[in-house]
Amino acid sequence: MAAVHDHDVAHAHDHHPSGMMRWMMTTNHKDIGTMYLWFSFIMFLTGGVMALTIRAELFQPGLQIVNPEFFNQLTTMHGLIMIFGAIMPAFVGFANWQIPMMIGAPDMAFARMNNWSFWLLPPAALLLLSSFFVPGGAPAGGWTIYPPLSVQMGMGMDMAIFAIHIMGASSIMGSINIITTILNMRAPGMTLMKMPMFVWTWLITAYLLVLVMPVLAGAVTMLLTDRNFGTNFFNAAGGGDPVMFQHIFWFFGHPEVYIMILPAFGIVSEVIPTFARKPLFGYSSMVYATASIAILSCIVWAHHMFTAGMPVTGQLFFMYATMLIAVPTGVKVFNWTATMWRGSMTFETPMLFAIGFIFLFTLGGFSGVVCAIVPIDIQVQDTYYVIAHFHYVLVSGALFGIFSGAYYWLPKWTGHMYDETLGKWHFWLTMIFFNLTFFVQHFLGLAGMPRRIPDYALQFADFNMISSIGAFGFGLSQLLFLYIVLKCIRGGAKAPAKTWEGGKTLEWTLPSPAPYHTFETPPVVR
Amino acid sequence: MESNPRKATFWQIAKAVSWAFFGVRKKSDLDMDASMLTPKQVIIGGVVGALIFVMSLILLVKLVTN
Repeated sequence: MAAVHDHDVAHAHDHHPSGMMRWMMTTNHKDIGTMYLWFSFIMFLTGGVMALTIRAELFQPGLQIVNPEFFNQLTTMHGLIMIFGAIMPAFVGFANWQIPMMIGAPDMAFARMNNWSFWLLPPAALLLLSSFFVPGGAPAGGWTIYPPLSVQMGMGMDMAIFAIHIMGASSIMGSINIITTILNMRAPGMTLMKMPMFVWTWLITAYLLVLVMPVLAGAVTMLLTDRNFGTNFFNAAGGGDPVMFQHIFWFFGHPEVYIMILPAFGIVSEVIPTFARKPLFGYSSMVYATASIAILSCIVWAHHMFTAGMPVTGQLFFMYATMLIAVPTGVKVFNWTATMWRGSMTFETPMLFAIGFIFLFTLGGFSGVVCAIVPIDIQVQDTYYVIAHFHYVLVSGALFGIFSGAYYWLPKWTGHMYDETLGKWHFWLTMIFFNLTFFVQHFLGLAGMPRRIPDYALQFADFNMISSIGAFGFGLSQLLFLYIVLKCIRGGAKAPAKTWEGGKTLEWTLPSPAPYHTFETPPVVR
Repeated sequence: MESNPRKATFWQIAKAVSWAFFGVRKKSDLDMDASMLTPKQVIIGGVVGALIFVMSLILLVKLVTN
């Protein structure tokens, strides 16, 4: 896409506060994007330490390191923190940095609300994390907070509910901001069907967020009143229904899965054409498939509840609907592969993570189709097979997408090239240790090892040991990523404006690092 | 949105939406969609398409279970 713009140099007369106040008061999309990304990385390490404690406990059968109550708190909090603290804010960080630059807008539409959306997150995270230190400890009934357990727990549960409320409000405001920015602030000439794929996926994700976050808020509010004000929404003894919570929760929860993967689809759809030096194969198909996935994601929720008790017609409906999602998803995987076909490919770190994404996400997708088949799901429900499945889509899907995007845009954000050799080391260590950790969990699940248990029968010992070794390797490899990012921020080879030869989107017309204010005069897209 | 000199017929909307569910669209058809369909038509078409999709799945399930 060709663009002309008069000048986009930073104005020398910027008057913004310095030091800590710069970050507290900022309404700049780049500053806010940076804060989102650092916040999510801190949460990623926090949730990661919990995961490693879980894996340390599971290294051998028997109870060695933590007591069972604390183990349950760790599994619950690991899930909540990784989903609401790490993956979702990371993608909002990417949206803040990239969407205005990719559509030729000067900033986000609601700049002050943007600041508020971010600054709601640290207090919410503190509220959630401090639940470890109250009587009864943190929530321990699983990240899905099903009643009756979630009704019976101590005040840590109330803290988690309020944290979810606050993070949900932040997400909704962020989404409204993204939708408004994309629909109203595109550069002249950039029609919807000329938008970069990352912008499209975020537009659709933002609509999904606005649709389902209020549903989660409703569910946890009913939990709150059941817990504290004597209502009986989910209490069978009072005429309520605990399974209703599961339906409401998963009506949020399944679209949430796509909220966490669609922006990764967008990043990969930017990275692969750049490093294959070919336009994205079937751009319009990609847009249509994303919209189709978003619609279908709203009618499959009960596949999470096949064993909760459901008429066979319900089981069949949700089984068929779920299996059909594989069609538009398959279209996407085909298009990424076709983009690479006969491309002039090079394998820098962003491309390695993007290819790793396609390879491993497809594996996760396949195990998803396996879980969608009712008779099989009844066998593997709540086993390590499910753990393996969703870590293949969320770690090697969402997280690999985040890494790919981070390496892709780091030169634009910092003005320096990252260390390519170390980046490749990061990729290969992550790739190997990820598979070491999670591939064997398929076998554990098929052999019948249940999830959320601190101790297990002896026949599961060997695969658990392998998985734990992989987990520690994976966790330590992420410290290398931190080192690479810090090194890149502090210095390195100067990144040119068009860092990647094949980069075609508008951000590559800006200098590196991108000036504090960009596109004050909108570019014209031809 | 862009000017809309020719109005899309019901069948054009239906065709565009059904191809979208599959996730594939021919370039020439896409260009025609882009020039003739309004976002409102696409959204309403999409919701109706989703309803039809749900109904046909229910019908299929009924057929299988009877």
